[in-house]
Amino acid sequence: MTISATARSASLPHPIILWIAQFRAWVFLVMLIAFFEIWSRLSDGTSFLFNIYNIQSIAVFATAPLLLALGQTFVIISAGIDLSLGFVMGLSSVIAAHACNYFAARWGFPPFAAMLAAILSGTVVTIVPGLVNGLLISRLQVPPFIGTLGMYGVARGAAYLFAGGMTIAVDNDWYSAIGNSRVLGVPVLVILTGIACLVMHYMLSQTRFGQHTYALGASKAAANRAGIDIKKLTLKLYLLSAIMAGIAGALYTGRFTAGAAQAGEPLLLDSIAAVVIGGASLFGGSGTIWGTIAGALVIAVIQYGLVFINVEPFWQFIAVGAVIIVSVLVDQTQRRLLGGRQVE
Amino acid sequence: MERRSVLKLMGATAALAGAGLASGRAAAADKVTIALIPGLTADGFYVTMHHGAEAAAKAVGAELLYQGAAEWNVSLQVPVLDAIIAKKPAAILIAPTDKVQLIKPLKKAFDAGIAVVCVDTFIGSGVFQTGAGDADFPISYVASDNVLGGRMAARALAKAIGEKGKVYVSNVKPGVSTTDQREEGFKDEMKKYAGITVMETQFNDDDANKAAAQVQAVIGRTPDLAGVFGANLFSAGGTANGVKQAGMLGKIKLAGFDAPESIVAQLKDGTFELTIAQHPAEIGYFGFMAAYAHVTGNPVPTAIGTGFSVMTKDNIDDPNVSKYLYKSS
Repeated sequence: MTISATARSASLPHPIILWIAQFRAWVFLVMLIAFFEIWSRLSDGTSFLFNIYNIQSIAVFATAPLLLALGQTFVIISAGIDLSLGFVMGLSSVIAAHACNYFAARWGFPPFAAMLAAILSGTVVTIVPGLVNGLLISRLQVPPFIGTLGMYGVARGAAYLFAGGMTIAVDNDWYSAIGNSRVLGVPVLVILTGIACLVMHYMLSQTRFGQHTYALGASKAAANRAGIDIKKLTLKLYLLSAIMAGIAGALYTGRFTAGAAQAGEPLLLDSIAAVVIGGASLFGGSGTIWGTIAGALVIAVIQYGLVFINVEPFWQFIAVGAVIIVSVLVDQTQRRLLGGRQVE
Repeated sequence: MERRSVLKLMGATAALAGAGLASGRAAAADKVTIALIPGLTADGFYVTMHHGAEAAAKAVGAELLYQGAAEWNVSLQVPVLDAIIAKKPAAILIAPTDKVQLIKPLKKAFDAGIAVVCVDTFIGSGVFQTGAGDADFPISYVASDNVLGGRMAARALAKAIGEKGKVYVSNVKPGVSTTDQREEGFKDEMKKYAGITVMETQFNDDDANKAAAQVQAVIGRTPDLAGVFGANLFSAGGTANGVKQAGMLGKIKLAGFDAPESIVAQLKDGTFELTIAQHPAEIGYFGFMAAYAHVTGNPVPTAIGTGFSVMTKDNIDDPNVSKYLYKSS
């Protein structure tokens, strides 16, 4: 072996390793599914994967955290974080429920129009927290962790105030259908989330906005010197993540036919975990939408699967935590192996 | 025997001393001021309890202070309590967020001559004025008996599923006294039905999305699931959605706990077979009255249990039942 060959193999790992690194979260997902499939077959002879019902259930389960995670992916790639998403989602859910009832009762909107007005209202409201987050972070140089933590409190208070401490019931068949019906066996929620994934993937990988986001996350100073308007970009990023949370909240209201202020609270950490399991770095500069999708599915599959194979509840907590740790450990190892090379 | 009566006497003396101090202050001011500190403010249950306490305050011409933290958390509740103590009300009604950690902070109120009444949740053992332990100083404990609530849910659900089949409890998280007691009462009562199997409890972290996925997973494995008891609102609501998604609505009977106004529609359209309504307004009313009676020098029972109502689609239009729905504001 010559010196140059050694050097080359050190600088460029085998293509298969590169490929596995890039789709690490998907490999992990396949391993998880295989584990549940084998366990399920051995313990009571049923299939885990080849069961339309399980697939539908898991897909619907993953939609809400995934919608939050899509916006979060952009923010994390830019080396930021958005902790306000959970309650921004709750705020949207509450406003959407109120809007649905209001437009129907006061203006006599037919159900379909009331539903559209509700989804629009819930989503539009989130522009306010998104703008405030963006302005705080871009103009006033507030660290994202602190700025969005403040907004977490503000959005939470606003959501509870609008809800009066209750869940707001909605009676609208169209709205309920958006959250609960299926088209050709595919739940509508899954179709809508799928469209959102495609749009987000396109924005991140094919547009200047997406490329600038990577640049900002990799090096703020370099991005600035390259002539990127960092302030405007940062504002857009937090606006985008708030709007995605708004869509998630408006859809939540349809699914549970009720607006709830605490709708997204438990989902925030799941959304961050999904992005990280998906291969993004919390230090910015790397991450993909495909990875995030796999990350969200990993979390959904493990939580669903453990109940399916009847694992005792307390072990479920341990298993979910362990999966997150293992996933991040694998990520660290991979980064070392690739010599700091980042996956885009 | 002797020792016990001495302890009792000591307890009574302490209570009397407290009453003396408090009524002295009450006489000095125009109105008796009593504070209510809920477990959290953003919750229909406590909103309704607040209404009950307000009604009692109006009835006797006393003043009610209402302050609380936005979430169920000891380190958020204690500062509120300290601020209230600084205002020196004659009595404090409180839903303590922890039965151990709130003992010392409440002892401060007691030492300042403020009478303490526990509502909904308690400190120490929940048995007061016995002279035993360091947490017997509250005047009274006013609450619904959650074990009983769980039993009532079990009886009603057993009847709904024809006293046979598999059921499980969808619960929030382990370690919450009220929901733990509901689960305990439910499981214990279900032992009386030979045909009913209670499966593992599923914890959903108060996440409707997770509760829905869990029931779907349970159905995937146990297609003959007969019923689920959702130990609180989100557990029940999330489970209902999962059952709906699985197309098993009506086949799997759901028992919920608590009764916001939105429950009416869900009982009528068959989403829920039944729900167990607590009587939070009663807790607020009798809690306030107990405190008022105490500070004006009258005797008060050390424990006051408030009731439950089983709500179904058949009785929800009855004003005697629907009056127990929780108010939104």
